[in-house]
Amino acid sequence: MATRTVEVATGVPELAAERAVTWPKRTKARLSNGLEVILAESHSTPKFHGELFFRSGNAAVADRTPGLAEMTATVVRTGTAKRVSRQIEEDLRRIGADLSSGAGADTSAISFAGLSEFAEPLLALVNELAREAAFPETEFERERRQKLEEVKLERTQPGFLASERLRKVLFGAHPYGEVSPSEAQVAAYKREDLQAVYRECYTPENGLLLLVGDFDAQGMLKTIEKVFGAWTGKKPEPNAGAAPANPRGRRVYLVHVPGAVQTQIVAGCHAITRKHPDWVKLGLTNSLYGGAFNSRLVMNIREDKGYTYSPRSGAHALRQHGYFSVSAAVRNDVVAASLTEMFYEMDKLRSVPVPVPELADAQNYLSGVFSMGLATQDGLLSQLSTVALNELPDDYLETYRQKVRALKPEDLLATARKYLDSANMQIVVVGDRAQIEEQAALFGEFEVYDAQGKRVD
Amino acid sequence: MKRLQIAMESTTLANGLKVVIAPDSTAPVVTVGVYYKIGFRLEPQGRSGFAHLFEHMMFQGSANAPKMQHIKLINSSGGVLNGSTSYDLTNYYQAVPSNALERVLWLEADRMRALKVDDENLKNQRDVVKEEVRVNVMNQPYGGFPWLDMPPVAFRNWANAHNFYGDFADLDAADLADVQAFFNTYYVPNNAVLLVLGDVKAAEGIALAKKYFEGIPAGVMPHFADSTEPEQTEERHGFVEEKFGTLPAMAIGYLMPKRRTTDWCAMALLDQALHGGRAGRLYRDLVLEKQIAVEVDGGIDDIFGYNGPTQMTTRILHKPEFTNETALAAFDRVVREVLENGISADELEQLKVKWRSDYYATLEGGRGGYMPKYGLMHLLACFTLFDNEPQLVNTILDGFLNVTREEIQAVGRKYLRKEKRAIVFRNPVKAGLPAKAGAKEAA
Repeated sequence: MATRTVEVATGVPELAAERAVTWPKRTKARLSNGLEVILAESHSTPKFHGELFFRSGNAAVADRTPGLAEMTATVVRTGTAKRVSRQIEEDLRRIGADLSSGAGADTSAISFAGLSEFAEPLLALVNELAREAAFPETEFERERRQKLEEVKLERTQPGFLASERLRKVLFGAHPYGEVSPSEAQVAAYKREDLQAVYRECYTPENGLLLLVGDFDAQGMLKTIEKVFGAWTGKKPEPNAGAAPANPRGRRVYLVHVPGAVQTQIVAGCHAITRKHPDWVKLGLTNSLYGGAFNSRLVMNIREDKGYTYSPRSGAHALRQHGYFSVSAAVRNDVVAASLTEMFYEMDKLRSVPVPVPELADAQNYLSGVFSMGLATQDGLLSQLSTVALNELPDDYLETYRQKVRALKPEDLLATARKYLDSANMQIVVVGDRAQIEEQAALFGEFEVYDAQGKRVD
Repeated sequence: MKRLQIAMESTTLANGLKVVIAPDSTAPVVTVGVYYKIGFRLEPQGRSGFAHLFEHMMFQGSANAPKMQHIKLINSSGGVLNGSTSYDLTNYYQAVPSNALERVLWLEADRMRALKVDDENLKNQRDVVKEEVRVNVMNQPYGGFPWLDMPPVAFRNWANAHNFYGDFADLDAADLADVQAFFNTYYVPNNAVLLVLGDVKAAEGIALAKKYFEGIPAGVMPHFADSTEPEQTEERHGFVEEKFGTLPAMAIGYLMPKRRTTDWCAMALLDQALHGGRAGRLYRDLVLEKQIAVEVDGGIDDIFGYNGPTQMTTRILHKPEFTNETALAAFDRVVREVLENGISADELEQLKVKWRSDYYATLEGGRGGYMPKYGLMHLLACFTLFDNEPQLVNTILDGFLNVTREEIQAVGRKYLRKEKRAIVFRNPVKAGLPAKAGAKEAA
């Protein structure tokens, strides 16, 4: 708890009347081949941002091997039936465009941005990557070897080691439990496996094309029909894994990094998806707890005690499941003290109703930040993709702020009791064992791993 | 070709504070920034890291808004805020729903007028800053590489060559008297610019700036220490041990031409040719074709945002089966190819389109996806404080679009010379590639 009393400011100007937030009109269409299209105009700069999503990511093909959708997306940009890798990169530069391809747990995506004057050639290239990727043998081999170095390197990053262990602990054998492949798994990737993923998942029926920017929506829709209209392909069979067990009781997982001069803490528990009716409540509870600069946890362990630079908490939604987590990189001698405060603030939200003025502040924060998505093309794109990929109602953007404002202290108390599951938090600490073992062991049964993921105790 | 034209109005208040208003009613959001013309380059000797520590102190309380209140008032108005310290500037910025504009101006004016902090605040933020250095540098693979490793190798003037994040002993030595002296010297209205962007009318913005800031007394214009470098006449090398990472790494930095010269514009296009993503010559050659390197990136960092000696820097992480010498030789061949043969008309045309597109992206860009208009704010601030000409934001592009093939080749021959560069090797201790003599621990 805080040791210093908080003084208030004097003479602060009142807020003026709130100005209306008007979300832009969305133009929605489904092409005859099944491709879903969502467009929104935004004329702040002569550019546009786009994303072509496929509703299959690493989880959908995890029964084959981890990270396969990501590797597929990586190789997609390295050659098509018409253009070799170098040509693709130069053609992008010729029209001033940026493009990347990647996959997360639930989607694969080609993301791009470019000058409005060159919209059609950029869309034509995206279409080519989605339909005619050639997976050249030499490009595949290079990207595979590149990936091998990357998976070695990520095991030297404390943040990666912490989130990797937490996901394993929370989701076990479910595909969400595996955030990255091992070296041996990467070494065993085969070009044919990538091509199979590409054939099955990169189809118009499985796709969603989102564009935001400086264009006329009706004209853009015609261009899209022209460019993507002839593409065909079915939706893949759904492949949901069995529900993961929800771990009971606090446990501590120490990942030993010899010589670490700081400890990365992350603790988490199961929560909910974005479609769940409690999502907005959890969002507000999180911003009170550790999701904002002004939140209780940041004020406590950073601004009062100086244990850490970067404490934060978050609700993370995957398509089938979700989890809540809190993290901080702290001084080695305050690992136990930091965990104590994390649980103190969690338990306080679970037991004492939030004072109304503090609740009002948090409601203002969340609804204000939400509207900032409107101010930039890529911000708007990200809001629209959240709505579409999570199958949220059409008026989600328009009604979100009302939903936030309607919440009462008792809603938050109930939400904290349900989802800030203090008694069942799984705790991961990444640091030098000799310096933190005794402190970590105070918080539950504990297991020790090395940076390679091998259990060592 | 559609050109982006930014509407703006600017003025200077009686106390010397410069004000720039850039109205745009796309969203009911307003971004407010205050930039002070002081960065870590000119922080006091014996107080490395102080400019950044001081930036933290600016969030610790002012005369009418005690500790935590600035943060609380911005967040509870629906806004987000932050600050950052760079070579020659320190900035403070927030984006809020536009109904909170007056409140933000009041807060920024309050801390420009009178910082009010105590020893407990200083001790608290010193601890926070040390954890920041640990999380970003000391406990990260390749932490601070090359932005902290390069300056002591490349430069001879303390201003350019010291540890900008701060030696812990220097952070510990800083006291409240240092804080007050730094504030009194550099945080005067006549050494700053206020920027208001987004949902505000120009006249309203200027009137509000006067209402809240004009009463702050002007200070003595700070005297800025000399940051010029003695002429470099030899290639410089440095070695740093990599404690965690698995790959050998190196960074090569070349001195940049003076800001806003023809050479500077040509160098920017040459930078695009060398470092422009997967189409850039270095990535294409070292990663895609020869497959020596795993990562190649870098270039001119924040080209508009510096006002003293700086470099164009390439950062290479390469596969352990190649030696540093092999990787460097491959790099040198790519550079030599441009110097000997120049670039084609077609390549130059591509570079210019990409440069224009990137420039618009910079203007449109938020920071970390949460701060609308950060990029435009930053450029307007730099053009005001360094050039006294915010309108440059609408005209500076021309200089880059007029660069010729001959100018690019000439600037390459003039600046990409071995005696004008410095190289830092950062090899993993674990991989049996011990750093050579003179090794120093990062930060």
